[in-house]
Amino acid sequence: MLDKSRLSAVAELIRDHISLDSLDRYCAETGVCRQDFVVIDPSEFEGEIFAVDGSNVAVCSWSVANLNLIRAGYAVYRGRDWRRTVITYDDIFLADPRICAEQFDPYLEQIFGLKGIDLKESDLERLSTYFRELQEYIALDDATGEARPGDLILYDGSFDVFEPLRGALLTVFERAKEKDVALLAISKSSTLPWGEEISLPFVQHTSYAGSLMAPGVPWYLCLKDKKVDHGQGRWEGETYIVRFDGRSDHAFRVDAPSYLEDRIGSVLERLAAYSCSSECLGYPHALFRAHRDIRITDQEGGFLRLKLMEMLEEMGLGQSQVRILMQDFHDVLEMRPGI
Amino acid sequence: MKVAMDQEESQTRARASLADRKVIEKGDTTYRIVSKSVTEYHFIVPFDLSDEERVEVGQIFSIRDRGLTFLARVLDIQHSSNYDGHWDTAMKGTQFFDRDQIFNRVIAEPLGCVSKDGGFRKSRVLPTKFAPVARAEQAEFKFLKQVMGDIEIGSLRNGSRLVEEIPVALHSNAMDHHMGVFATTGMGKSNFMKVFAASCMRLACMGRSRFGLLIVDPHGEYLKGNGLVKGLTHLKRYREGLACYSTDQKNASDPGVEELAVSASEVRPEDIALLYEWSPPQRDALDAISRIFNSNHWLEEIQGTEGLDRMVLDGFKENTVKVLVRRIKNVLERNKYIQKRSSLANILANLQSGKVVLVDIPRMSDRSELFLLSVISRHILEEYKKEEQQERKNCLITIEEAQRVLGAGSNTSRFETIAREGRKFGVGLCAITQQPKLIDKQLLSQFNTLVVMGLGDRNDRMQLEESAKQDLSSLDIEIQTLEKGEAIISTLDIPFPVPARIHRYEDYLRRLDKEEKEEGLVSRGGFKPFLE
Repeated sequence: MLDKSRLSAVAELIRDHISLDSLDRYCAETGVCRQDFVVIDPSEFEGEIFAVDGSNVAVCSWSVANLNLIRAGYAVYRGRDWRRTVITYDDIFLADPRICAEQFDPYLEQIFGLKGIDLKESDLERLSTYFRELQEYIALDDATGEARPGDLILYDGSFDVFEPLRGALLTVFERAKEKDVALLAISKSSTLPWGEEISLPFVQHTSYAGSLMAPGVPWYLCLKDKKVDHGQGRWEGETYIVRFDGRSDHAFRVDAPSYLEDRIGSVLERLAAYSCSSECLGYPHALFRAHRDIRITDQEGGFLRLKLMEMLEEMGLGQSQVRILMQDFHDVLEMRPGI
Repeated sequence: MKVAMDQEESQTRARASLADRKVIEKGDTTYRIVSKSVTEYHFIVPFDLSDEERVEVGQIFSIRDRGLTFLARVLDIQHSSNYDGHWDTAMKGTQFFDRDQIFNRVIAEPLGCVSKDGGFRKSRVLPTKFAPVARAEQAEFKFLKQVMGDIEIGSLRNGSRLVEEIPVALHSNAMDHHMGVFATTGMGKSNFMKVFAASCMRLACMGRSRFGLLIVDPHGEYLKGNGLVKGLTHLKRYREGLACYSTDQKNASDPGVEELAVSASEVRPEDIALLYEWSPPQRDALDAISRIFNSNHWLEEIQGTEGLDRMVLDGFKENTVKVLVRRIKNVLERNKYIQKRSSLANILANLQSGKVVLVDIPRMSDRSELFLLSVISRHILEEYKKEEQQERKNCLITIEEAQRVLGAGSNTSRFETIAREGRKFGVGLCAITQQPKLIDKQLLSQFNTLVVMGLGDRNDRMQLEESAKQDLSSLDIEIQTLEKGEAIISTLDIPFPVPARIHRYEDYLRRLDKEEKEEGLVSRGGFKPFLE
């Protein structure tokens, strides 16, 4: 039974802690102060912006293995003009711990010169997520190959990644540094916490603090030496909280490799100049386009599922057999059509 | 059975997928048919077109699709995008980055399709998805030349652009099926009528006229015009095609203008009847006049004491008859042209020979105009009802402010009779009005040619849409937005309602005055207005 008093206690907790009334506690516990908010002066540039994204949709499952549709690629802009979208991977992925190494290794070896990955202990959901991430790193690498010195490459996510794939990302960092290309990871939904009594949302509270300490302007905040666990030391770079447009309420977590540390301000100035579109104010527009061009819609997943069912039928499998093999019993309980 | 993919196969797939990268680049996403049905086409255009390129309601586009060229008229233009919901109101700022994702959706109504051999027909098929759409140009409208008539009135209009090479011309043979000219004040009704009359005069002079046109002008604007605005007599080259009659002494003193006279014997009690509201006894008395008096002298007889006695003897109250007589005297007083001699025979002869007959009655009251029109039109109908003469041309009677005589419940059955039966005898009506909503719906449905020149009142438009032979309902926005001199012409011999710009009379006049008499306007194809 729902205990209303417990719900009420949580409500109080949210009121007292999550809604930030005063910045004193935030500043004291995180080490953030007014001077940490560095104003960004947006500055247009001649180069191109590459925005990398990926998408993953479950097609079907038979408990011990999953079939997913995965897509990765990047959108390219020069200034405000979309130039092209490149799809580097658009295929199905069979998530089976027994064969997954065979699916990962050729890419790791051929593209990143890395050997072996052990994913046998990973659950099926994670397997497809890792594969999508791998494909995103391949897209990052492809974009790095296409980019010219001074260009910007954006990644939708964080660089604080799953350990087995960290090597791939390091290779991308090296290649980007060598080519003098700026690489940034921008995260829409960061889980960075702060606070001693309860986990509080750091990005949201920093956004709020920024709106008071640096109102109406874009700014960034470096997390170096701040009392926030943002994966320091787990990867070679630094994390920032950035508001790209003064009119926007949203700030984002931005990861940058260490080779950008001394020029992060100018890189963010360039990016801020292209984060002011009416379509998605305050977010790097190239990432907005990449998300829309690369995403796999529910209809696409549904269509592929139907195609698979058709093939199974042609191969002699009856619907009841398919149901026995693949139906998720939750679908039965929820009275959903399922497979 | 081998379940898992082996290493070699995986490597092959990895290599293949890397080589298989797909690049989506900028393409032509606009100006292509994207939907929707046989009855409605949708295509998209950039949202930020230059002023010259902007798409307008009423504009005609062509869709080339293999052997067919579909034509479609723009009904509406909407803001649209590939984004869902109210994305554009939820966000701040006005700097669009993805110009290929934000666009205007154009909704167009199919007009029909032109086949390779140039034939036009209504379309029963749908253009192929993504078939290219372009602004229709002269070449796509060529087929219209074949279906246009002989009375040139303007040029084809595509949106607000003029297609000068394609003249718009009405058909003479449709005129006994009645014509309606509908427009609010200042939209160019008089200019249209003068252009129409000028073309009729020209046809008459060339011996190609198929009907005589009667215009009764109570405003005195058609004969000599006013200042810079020219009249019909200014068309010197085709002056022979015009016969003028005037009640104005000064105008009648001009050569070529005859003083109007109507003989008292040509006036009938029913001509008086339409001028006033009558009580039932008064109407009875009016109806009895033709029985009691000599039909040629009744006007004179009833005004005398003997006339009064005869009416009273027939059972009518003295007061009733006195009202009748008083009103008749008033009519005679106001219409000095009622004399012993008559112009009606000449008027009829001119009409029957296919001329334009202008009856100029400046400064005459509304009632007098109606009275005169009634006398003349009755005379015409009676004569046309007689056995058809071989050389006789049809006749088109113009009625200004036609709602007075064709309105629901009006007591002017004469004009209703012409509207309903005139066609059988070769007599048509040209009804001009600002308020088609006041015209009887059934009568309006008898009109086969409509010239619509901008109507702001929704009820006026609805009345026309409900009564027109061609579907005008989809043109509602366009009719609302018509500018001065612009018109929609709907007539049965032209396959769809045609957008036109009526020639400016003064420009048309100068062109007609310069042209060789035998030169065919339509075959020559339109004209460019003279520059001032």
